[in-house]
Amino acid sequence: MIEMKSITKSFGTNVVLKDVSITIKGGEICALIGENGAGKSTLMNILGGVHQMDSGEIFIDSQRVRFDTPAQSLGAGIAFIHQELNLINDLPIFENMFVGRELKDKRGRLDLTSMFKATEDIFERMDIKLDPGTMVRDLDASYKQIVEICRAIMMDASVIIMDEPTTSLTEPEIKRVFHMMRTLRDQGVGIIFISHKLGEVMEVCQRYVVLRDGKLVAEGDVADVTTDDLTRFMVGHAIRIEKLTRTQRIGQEILRLENFTHARSFREISLSVREGEILGVTGLLGDGRSALFQTVFGADRALSGKMFLGGEEVKVTSTEQALQMGIGYLPRNRKENGILKDMNVLENASIVTWPLFAKRGVIDTDRHGKVFKSQQRELDITLQSFKDAINTLSGGNQQKVVLAKWLAANPRLLILDNPTQGVDVGAKEEIYEIILKLAEEGMAVVVLSSEAQEIIRLCDRALVMYHGQIQGEVLDTTMTEHEIMRLATGGIVEAV
Amino acid sequence: MQAAKGKKKNVVSRLMEARAADSHVGIALVLLLLIVLQTLVLGFDFGSFGQWFSAWFRNWINILRNNAGVGIVALGMTFVIITGGIDLAVGSTLVATGAVIMTLIDTGAGGVLGLLGITGVPAYVMAIVLALVMGYVLGTGIGLLITKGRIAPFIATLGAMKIFRSVTQHFMQGYNPRVPRDFLQISNLQIGGLMFMPIVYWAIIAIVLHYISKRTTFGRQVIAVGSNERAAQLSGVNVNRVKTRVYSLMGVLVSIAAIVQVARIGSMDYANAGSGMEMDAIAATVVGGTSMAGGRGTILGTFMGMLIIAVMNNLLNLFGVPPFLREAFKGLIVVLAVLLQRKQRT
Ligand SMILES: Nc1ncnc2c1ncn2[C@@H]1O[C@H](COP(=O)(O)OP(=O)(O)OP(=O)(O)O)[C@@H](O)[C@H]1O
Ligand SMILES: [Mg+2]
Repeated sequence: MIEMKSITKSFGTNVVLKDVSITIKGGEICALIGENGAGKSTLMNILGGVHQMDSGEIFIDSQRVRFDTPAQSLGAGIAFIHQELNLINDLPIFENMFVGRELKDKRGRLDLTSMFKATEDIFERMDIKLDPGTMVRDLDASYKQIVEICRAIMMDASVIIMDEPTTSLTEPEIKRVFHMMRTLRDQGVGIIFISHKLGEVMEVCQRYVVLRDGKLVAEGDVADVTTDDLTRFMVGHAIRIEKLTRTQRIGQEILRLENFTHARSFREISLSVREGEILGVTGLLGDGRSALFQTVFGADRALSGKMFLGGEEVKVTSTEQALQMGIGYLPRNRKENGILKDMNVLENASIVTWPLFAKRGVIDTDRHGKVFKSQQRELDITLQSFKDAINTLSGGNQQKVVLAKWLAANPRLLILDNPTQGVDVGAKEEIYEIILKLAEEGMAVVVLSSEAQEIIRLCDRALVMYHGQIQGEVLDTTMTEHEIMRLATGGIVEAV
Repeated sequence: MQAAKGKKKNVVSRLMEARAADSHVGIALVLLLLIVLQTLVLGFDFGSFGQWFSAWFRNWINILRNNAGVGIVALGMTFVIITGGIDLAVGSTLVATGAVIMTLIDTGAGGVLGLLGITGVPAYVMAIVLALVMGYVLGTGIGLLITKGRIAPFIATLGAMKIFRSVTQHFMQGYNPRVPRDFLQISNLQIGGLMFMPIVYWAIIAIVLHYISKRTTFGRQVIAVGSNERAAQLSGVNVNRVKTRVYSLMGVLVSIAAIVQVARIGSMDYANAGSGMEMDAIAATVVGGTSMAGGRGTILGTFMGMLIIAVMNNLLNLFGVPPFLREAFKGLIVVLAVLLQRKQRT
């Protein structure tokens, strides 16, 4: 059992945690929820030895402990899956699984065989088809997330912290992760589960703890509450999840692909998106949708096939060119694809528009500042100063910054890949509203998501991909979770 | 609402912020320390303050002038290293462009412009322009090799380093161009009895590059590419072009250094001139706080880094440290600087 008592923590003058006390029991999955910037990750970073608290105490089984480094925390049996991916790209999976606690043989050499074998075992138990010898560099973000989860599971920890482990996973993997979590729980492991998807919380957790503005505002048993209650605790007032409506004005075709084919990731893709339309693209792990639209954006090359933009055939050879043609692409996996870690918040929010606003090559900082200021209000981005380093922002707020840079560019065709990754309930609705408004103003929007609900609520129609091909299209009455899942798992379109 | 909270800041946090924003403080302190030390070593054994000051001042002009060439190259190296690259070819590019200038302006039988009947100022201007173009072309070539050819910067510039020098040596053997007197004025012009033109060039270039780095799209894109190449690319940055331009800029700066050097001594030792220059430039860059992993670094930092190394050399000189040992001290200060910055960052 772990007790954190009266934890207080500030960064500079920003008091992030105020007198927070929580208890984590073995054999229990406890949800830690709250809005973006509420202090969830910070609290866990203290338990994980990443940050030091200003005051407060931590007890493990009534023994007072102190963690100055992550290694000490791990040594005390606490495994931590961080919000942002933390793998070494240049090592194969099985070596990543043992970084910092490598298996050695009698003569002190690395025991690669045992490490490989152990990794294989855990993948088998989790029903994951991955070769442990694959370089992490070559893995998709979702697979990386799975590797991280498996690594934590393998550590024989007594407590596992999972900071938003499901944001880049699709339905079947989430199910498998939950299954694994339950197994561990039944073995007596305590799990802290951070998520903005309340459905998941209801499904897998027994207890909940809610943080708001760094204070503990509610805790209790999940069985006693509804998702509406949890939302109310987090935000302080109720948020109505309303049906999204807009006046649809579908105009001319913006993008058309004909038999678009890539060397590895996708084949024979034909599709079309029009002005004012919101097209969803979904599928499971390995469906190739990210690679497809990164190619449309000029970050990769297609092997064959044609691409038309506004009726004209184009060959996009660089992302810069795509930007000039009016194509925008918000990438998934913000740490690797979105965040410039050495630059400040404003720079991260304006990099796309530097060349668009510049006067003779000189960046118009004032104009970027103005644009971002209004975006900050609209997206409710919690931050201290525009000049702060980007990684001082909470995960969800970083995501909003990455989104902001594309909204500022105002492209003709905006592709959003997992746009609400790690964003809290309220902000998610805001982002949906913004997307609807953009479509209403005539933008063609493509939303890539593995969340069926997101697709159903937001999109006019959706394409479901399976192993690099379009398996089928859903719209109106066929746009149901059931139908999407059937196509995503390779089901054939029924003849009508 | 959160932002409003942030407005009420006490003095302590403001100071902390200022320190965090400006990692130059540590470098500046080291520099200051060395300058104080150097001043003490120089001694106060003079008849009057005026005498002492003029000796001190002359010593400084000497230090700065002697380091202006490498100093200019180090500024370009900063951009290169920020993108995560490296340029080992600067010394050889210096010799190659130097040879071109001298061949152009030679007053002897082999002088190209002389043969064409162009002499005097028009010849100098032409020579300078052609040297800059040559530096640009060589640098761009290296850049394209790295970006389009996908060769690691270390390897590409190592190759270029060998090729440029050996080709230059081959074509220049047995040929001794004579640099016209007037051309030497570029570096040796005396104002008030002091020769400080190289320092002026260095300072102007530093100011321009500082502005480029802080304020222009290109300058910030350089940082973005070094910080996270993939994210920069997915933000519409043409990563290959940014990188190629960085090497082009490097080439142009090296050719400026070559002009300054040719004009300073009027000759060039093709086998040895500029050898080790890449290491000195890298050292100044690293001492100035640029991260070899890319993404971090400033022109101001490199400028101070160069001064630290220069003052250090001067000190070793004043102390009478045997020449062979001096390199060891240089190595030591590079390692120390990096350790110090790591401490400061965490
Ligand atoms: N290293 C840091 N330096 C300064 N401030 C920080 C740092 N890390 C976090 N903060 C601030 O602390 C607050 C809480 O951040 P935290 O990451 O704990 O939020 P969170 O609840 O995990 O949010 P999210 O759901 O978006 O991940 C935020 O206002 C954030 O800006
Ligand atoms: Mg977080």
